Amino acid sequence: MSNIPTIDTNLFVPRKRRRYINRVVFTLGTLALLLLISPSVWIIGQVLVRAIPHFSFSVITTNGVGLGGGLKNDIVGTTLITAGVGVVAGTIGILTGIYLSQFATGQVAGLLRGASEVLAGIPSIVIGYVGYIALVVHFHWGFSLGAGLITLSVMVIPYIAKTTEVSLRQVPSSYTEGAEALGFKPTRILRLITIKSALPGIVTGMIVALAISVGETAPLLYTAGYSQNMPHLAFTHSPVGYLTYAVWTFYNQPTVTAQRLSYDAAMLLIFMLLALIASSRIIVSRTQRHAETKG
Amino acid sequence: MSPKKPVLLAGLISAAGLVASACGSSSSSTTTTSATTSAPATTQAPTTTAAPNYAATETPPTANVALQETGSTLLYPLFNLWAPDYSKAYPNITITTAGTGSGTGIADASNGTVDIGASDAYLSTAQTTKTPTLVNIPLAISAQEIVYNIPGVTQQLNLTGQVISSIYQGKIQYWDDSAIAALNSGVTLPHLLISPVHRSDGSGDTFIFTQYLSKQDPSGWGATVSYGTTVAFPTVSSALGANGNGGMVTTCGATKGCIAYVGVSYASAAQKAGLTIAAISNAAGKFVTPDASSIQADAQSFIAQVPTNEAISLIDGPGATAYPIINFEYAIVNTAQTDANKAQAIRSLLTWAIDPSHGNATSYLSQVNFQPLPQSVASLSLAQISKIQAG
Amino acid sequence: MVTRAISATESGSADNHFVPSVALGNNPIRIATAIVSTLPLLALGSILVVLFFNSLPAIKYNGFHFLTSKHWNPGNFYANPVTTNGVTHPILANYGAWPLIVGTLLSSLIAITIALPLSVGAALIVAKSLGPRLRNLLGVFFELLAGIPSVIFGLWGALTLGPLLARDVYPLLARHIPNVILLKYFRGTTGSGEGLLTSGIVLAIMIVPIIASTTRDLFLQVPKLTEDGASALGLTQWEVTRNVTFPWVSAGIIGATVLGLARALGETMAVAMISGSVLGSLPTNIYSTYTTIAATIVSQLDSALTDATGLAVDTLAEVALIIMVVTLLTNVGARILIKKVSTTSLPVGRGI
Repeated sequence: MSNIPTIDTNLFVPRKRRRYINRVVFTLGTLALLLLISPSVWIIGQVLVRAIPHFSFSVITTNGVGLGGGLKNDIVGTTLITAGVGVVAGTIGILTGIYLSQFATGQVAGLLRGASEVLAGIPSIVIGYVGYIALVVHFHWGFSLGAGLITLSVMVIPYIAKTTEVSLRQVPSSYTEGAEALGFKPTRILRLITIKSALPGIVTGMIVALAISVGETAPLLYTAGYSQNMPHLAFTHSPVGYLTYAVWTFYNQPTVTAQRLSYDAAMLLIFMLLALIASSRIIVSRTQRHAETKG
Repeated sequence: MSPKKPVLLAGLISAAGLVASACGSSSSSTTTTSATTSAPATTQAPTTTAAPNYAATETPPTANVALQETGSTLLYPLFNLWAPDYSKAYPNITITTAGTGSGTGIADASNGTVDIGASDAYLSTAQTTKTPTLVNIPLAISAQEIVYNIPGVTQQLNLTGQVISSIYQGKIQYWDDSAIAALNSGVTLPHLLISPVHRSDGSGDTFIFTQYLSKQDPSGWGATVSYGTTVAFPTVSSALGANGNGGMVTTCGATKGCIAYVGVSYASAAQKAGLTIAAISNAAGKFVTPDASSIQADAQSFIAQVPTNEAISLIDGPGATAYPIINFEYAIVNTAQTDANKAQAIRSLLTWAIDPSHGNATSYLSQVNFQPLPQSVASLSLAQISKIQAG
Repeated sequence: MVTRAISATESGSADNHFVPSVALGNNPIRIATAIVSTLPLLALGSILVVLFFNSLPAIKYNGFHFLTSKHWNPGNFYANPVTTNGVTHPILANYGAWPLIVGTLLSSLIAITIALPLSVGAALIVAKSLGPRLRNLLGVFFELLAGIPSVIFGLWGALTLGPLLARDVYPLLARHIPNVILLKYFRGTTGSGEGLLTSGIVLAIMIVPIIASTTRDLFLQVPKLTEDGASALGLTQWEVTRNVTFPWVSAGIIGATVLGLARALGETMAVAMISGSVLGSLPTNIYSTYTTIAATIVSQLDSALTDATGLAVDTLAEVALIIMVVTLLTNVGARILIKKVSTTSLPVGRGI
């Protein structure tokens, strides 16, 4: 880090030529940026172009029937799974983050933190496979909301834990010291001052986790199963549909209706994602004033 | 139980029996109210009368029961037609269905995660050894068509199992190959590369298709590739993999020169995608296309051989008019249930499903191009259904 | 709020000189959070245990040639099972993961080759040429890109990009690219658009947010003073970047790239939709259909369950173990690398 850079540029090269090279490099960079932006615009545009002209609200209000029907069951399923992940992974992730930032020290902290990072790196299909073997088969949960949301939770807990930990660490010590001086009890300080100040960061982490839950497919295929009925509120033994499954199962079907449903589901997923990103921005900007996390 | 003789009889008079049982069961199922008294009589039903006695097991319990079905994506649309209508007749029974694939259907029925597994393939002896109380119960007959996409050729091509086998092995590479031309005199075939498409996911469709190739080309396909839900398809540079029946149709529709195997429930979709159905050779060497009569003809040629456990391949039957690639669509059920009401509900639903006046009626089956069970097979299915008991 | 939030807020935590701010002692909060915080560790442990014990029979039966053999034959499920090396298996069962390993590595390699220069170039512009407002806007854009579900990438790749490339681009490439080392794999049959190159391109778009946003944060971290000093010497902006900025951040970029690689290696749905899913054969050129380990688990798990001996399911556990070990090694490697050289730690997991 402290190595002093050696400059191997030949300063005797004419200035005009060096400027020219500079322009070429930055033009290439701009091209690269455009090359990155264009496919993303293309992907989203394609989904909208294919979905909007035929979109009817019956898609939202009816359940799937074979290769047709609507996506109501999938919308409700995705919402249920995501909400479930919010509760389960949210609780575990935030508590883990609190422990890591406020209490854990030394090797224990290193081990827990490392485990969390490693867990986040496991391919989602591997977690899904284990979810199937362990929850669906071994625990006899069957394809179910429970199996799906626990599997997804395992995937996203590291994200929530990490953001929580980082946000809590960044709470200025003057806040807590001040509270201490005022005679607040330590637990009260943690609850009222520390967590409140770190809230925007924690919410951000939560929303990342929810965005992942909305968009994942592989870990759900063999855990949540699939159903075209409205999801029951049962934790086990009742498969649920979800939007990403609709994209995946309908996209290559030979009927126009099915492919439209695939694009409809894709569009709804993008809208959900945009809503999550927007809400995260709003929450962060609303709470930033109180938090003052950016130093 | 000695079902042999009545079964044969039933096969002979199947048409008449269908009508008779249809009338009988629809009236009795609506009038029968006491579930408990009819249950003991069920075990003898198939052996004492030629016409299957659907009424005996069709009455559900009066208690509320929730049933779960999962498995074959081919049966899934049919189950989705059945479930709401059955629940309408018996509002205390709710049915959850899921199309996850035959493998999960068998596995989940076997380990008790679901009540009914749906499978395109029958159980192997290894499976029944592992779980002796697991049974496979035919609910309907499905078939598979061989389709192709050759622009400019609208005539129906004749293909033998040998030729299809050679195509999938890469030994025949172009549509104007002399082996194909010899079977189709009068058709001008283009010099177009053949793209054989196979399922990339493991599936019952691959199972019955490769079984047909193994039977028609025992020394070639049978000896080198054999059959299964996933087989090691020989490496052909123009080969494609496709996910699900829908993927097969879409991929084939988009690929000039393609050949594919597709379940009959996708027949109209295949037609819309511009695919033509081939006439394929049966065991008698005749070229046939899949339709109600050729599928039933193949089924009839196996009727005498259907064992009491109903695990049988219906591939390449001997009849001259028989379409060679057909199969039973099975419900996989564990006969040893823990709950008496649930056992009765499963018996009721499955009986309702194979009853020609209800689930096996053309109004349901024609929507997926399935064929009803021959009467004798229905009797065997009923006998297996009656084994589903608690305790 | 996706990538940016984590990596930006994280910067304060890299050094572990943190002292718990409040002396809380053994209060209930401490105990409760301590118990809960072991859950991720437990989950990781259970995943490893389940995978290991499930793959044990497969490891025993498939042996070492599993890694080099290219067959994928589950055997005859309907014949009576036989026992070899103490493992009951269907007759003729013969598995080899070599094509899956090759497919996984090649598609990821193509993705990295495309994504790395584009990401670095784009990050350079974002960090050096754009004002904060535009930079912020692009940040949101990268977040969105990172958050697009992989099935939507698959949908686009399979129905839009693949057919387009196969019709208009690949035949041209195949005809005009010279027949020399490496480039010769661009020649030959171009297929339907499902295959290595198309999925490599789509994977590249998917991993760009990881590499680009981390690289941008690294660029922004380089001390202004050093760069300004270099500028004062009369260097152009590119010369400053090359001589001052790059040496400062290069290891970090490698770390980010390896993390992107890990994401590409483990990607499932997009690959399952665009790879052409062909088991048991090796790609012959860059347009060839192929499959990866992750996509195989999705497409084969269902039929594997019909194998009563369990070998098929256990074999999938074995390939899952392989992909897990590979991605873990790349992941941990990337983190160690970037921790050594930078105060920016990598975004958690797959970068979202």
